Amino acid sequence: MNTPTLHTIGKLALVTDVTSDAIRYYEKEGLLAPTTKTGAGYRLYNEDAVRRLRFIKQAQHCGFSLSEIRELLTLKNSDAACCKDVRSVAIDKKLQLAHKIKALQIMSQALTELIASCNDEAKPLDECPILAALETSMAKQKKGTAHD
Amino acid sequence: MIKVEVFSSPGCGKCTQAKNVLKAIAEEIGQDKITWRDVNILEEMDYAVELGVMSSPAIAINGKLIFSSLPSAAKLRAALDKQLAQTR
Repeated sequence: MNTPTLHTIGKLALVTDVTSDAIRYYEKEGLLAPTTKTGAGYRLYNEDAVRRLRFIKQAQHCGFSLSEIRELLTLKNSDAACCKDVRSVAIDKKLQLAHKIKALQIMSQALTELIASCNDEAKPLDECPILAALETSMAKQKKGTAHD
Repeated sequence: MIKVEVFSSPGCGKCTQAKNVLKAIAEEIGQDKITWRDVNILEEMDYAVELGVMSSPAIAINGKLIFSSLPSAAKLRAALDKQLAQTR
């Protein structure tokens, strides 16, 4: 019978390209647990931990937060859950990303307008239309807040 | 005429439940007073974002997001009655 391969935290970090600090943080957040510990108290991890870390990393690349990854891992290990539950989480995530993209587009458009307002780069700072526009909009916001 | 839009994705079990609730209530009030449309959130994501839909299922009434999660039948009925009173 083959003895399962166990990795130290350093080896696990190397194999998965995740830092040891991140692995400890995931443990603290309940996303990962060492398989066992040595007599001296060093953490040891099996291949399941390797797969789990790769899952976490890939999910992060898709924009999932750690709490959402926890939800996905719970679904993954739930007998009652099925593919449509995971799909629903993914659709909600895509929706959130679409909202963020829209917000970024609005910010980008605001910057385009500010950049267009500055047609003379040689102007001194106190005549900079970008700074003036930002100050005006801040003053408008304050005025709006005071009226609320 | 009240326009009801149900944002969901195909294959979503809880969305089917929401649609059935809506259908029953719409039929009860009268289909001459309510139009309803199933919106596939994956096909009309820009529209969903425009209305502020953050998760599915969600229900918009007359182009305004009213329910961002599954409402009870009573709450949906109350929202539709309110809209009907405003349009009279």
